Amino acid sequence: MAVDPQDIGLIDRLRNGDKSALYLLYDKYSSALYGVILRICRDEDQAKDLLQETFVKIWQKISTYDQSKGRFYTWAYRIAKHTTLNALRKSKPLIQTEDLSVYSNIASEEESPDYAVLNGLLKKLEPHHQRAIQLVYFQGYTHREAHELMKVPLGTFKSYIRQAIKQIREKYGQNALLFLTIIEALGNGQ
Amino acid sequence: MDSEKIISEGLLEQYLLGELEEQQISLVEAALKKDAGLRATYAEMEADFERIAFENAIEPPDAVKKSLKFYLEEIDSRKDKAVKDLKSRDRGFQNGRLLVAASLAAIFALSSFWIYNRWQNAEQLLQLQEEQITDLQDRLVKIEERIEVSDERYRKINNLNVTPLVLVGNAISPESKAVAYINHRTKEVVVNGQGLSPLSSGEAYQMWADVEGEMINMGLVSVNEEFIDMSYIEGAESLNITIEPSGGSEHPTVERLISSVSL
Repeated sequence: MAVDPQDIGLIDRLRNGDKSALYLLYDKYSSALYGVILRICRDEDQAKDLLQETFVKIWQKISTYDQSKGRFYTWAYRIAKHTTLNALRKSKPLIQTEDLSVYSNIASEEESPDYAVLNGLLKKLEPHHQRAIQLVYFQGYTHREAHELMKVPLGTFKSYIRQAIKQIREKYGQNALLFLTIIEALGNGQ
Repeated sequence: MDSEKIISEGLLEQYLLGELEEQQISLVEAALKKDAGLRATYAEMEADFERIAFENAIEPPDAVKKSLKFYLEEIDSRKDKAVKDLKSRDRGFQNGRLLVAASLAAIFALSSFWIYNRWQNAEQLLQLQEEQITDLQDRLVKIEERIEVSDERYRKINNLNVTPLVLVGNAISPESKAVAYINHRTKEVVVNGQGLSPLSSGEAYQMWADVEGEMINMGLVSVNEEFIDMSYIEGAESLNITIEPSGGSEHPTVERLISSVSL
């Protein structure tokens, strides 16, 4: 898996107990993780605590991270998501339908505070694709919970996700191609 | 499970999102290890999701990083303290163990010393008691001997066949007095000489039997003795005491006859 070479050095230092490496990783990834945590828990005070807890776990569990299995961010994302969902299980009255399920009804997720608004490429996706990604990635729902929220069969929901990922890949690919073309044109211009 | 099925069932996305259970994780990871194409797809998906996350990032307040730093420093200082406490406690524990061992050794040594002393005292006491018993046995033997002697003497004088005769001193020794007990049946003569006057050194009392005018030696009479066995002389007509040179004489010194009694 493609892991940022800069991350590899920081992770090695982190494994050797270098706290400054953790703070550099914090500088790089905290905002992305905070975006996920805040959208799941919808409480800024709690999100701050959970972000700190996430980085404490990263510090404590770094020896379990295997870079051959994926990016550091993916590993950190899973920690942040599970930490947040576990905290919500403890703090909110729940009707749990599956191991990661935390919300008792749809009404709670219908509210849309400012930080819930999605940015970037996701905004360019079709609404149902955007919604599917938002539910599983930024709100912590499982596929089984999310398809019920969207009131579509599980198979259809999985198709939404696959199509969304495909579109994202294509759009990022186009952007990357556009970026390379501009770089090349600038290079030729000189 | 083949790669197509993993993709069609959406397991790759769920793997990325951390939704799968252990068994499914193992299957996906095994497929990723085997299939370079699947691996490339997953790498793209990871990169895309990471990019989405950064596009939707929200800057956390600075206080979170400060709090994180403070928290980790606090944990470190607690660990250091805990290690120090543990070492200290370990040292304390070692010292405690040594103290207990030393105490036990001291108790053992003291109790052994006490037991040894008691044993020695008992030995000495036993030895003393044995000596006392031996002494008592000796004394008992002597008492028995004395009793035997006394019985014998008593028997000799307290007998119907015994004739007691008092020998009173004459003018030469008017203070002297002796008693002779004569048993003609057993042919025994016993004399109590304690009543005789003391003599100068080199002199002794000697008793004689007069048999048809001849004085026959019966033996020396000691002043200090109560019962003195004398020789019985057959046919004696009288008993006589003379003062003789120490050790006695073969013939009586009649000039120094101090007492005489007829039988």
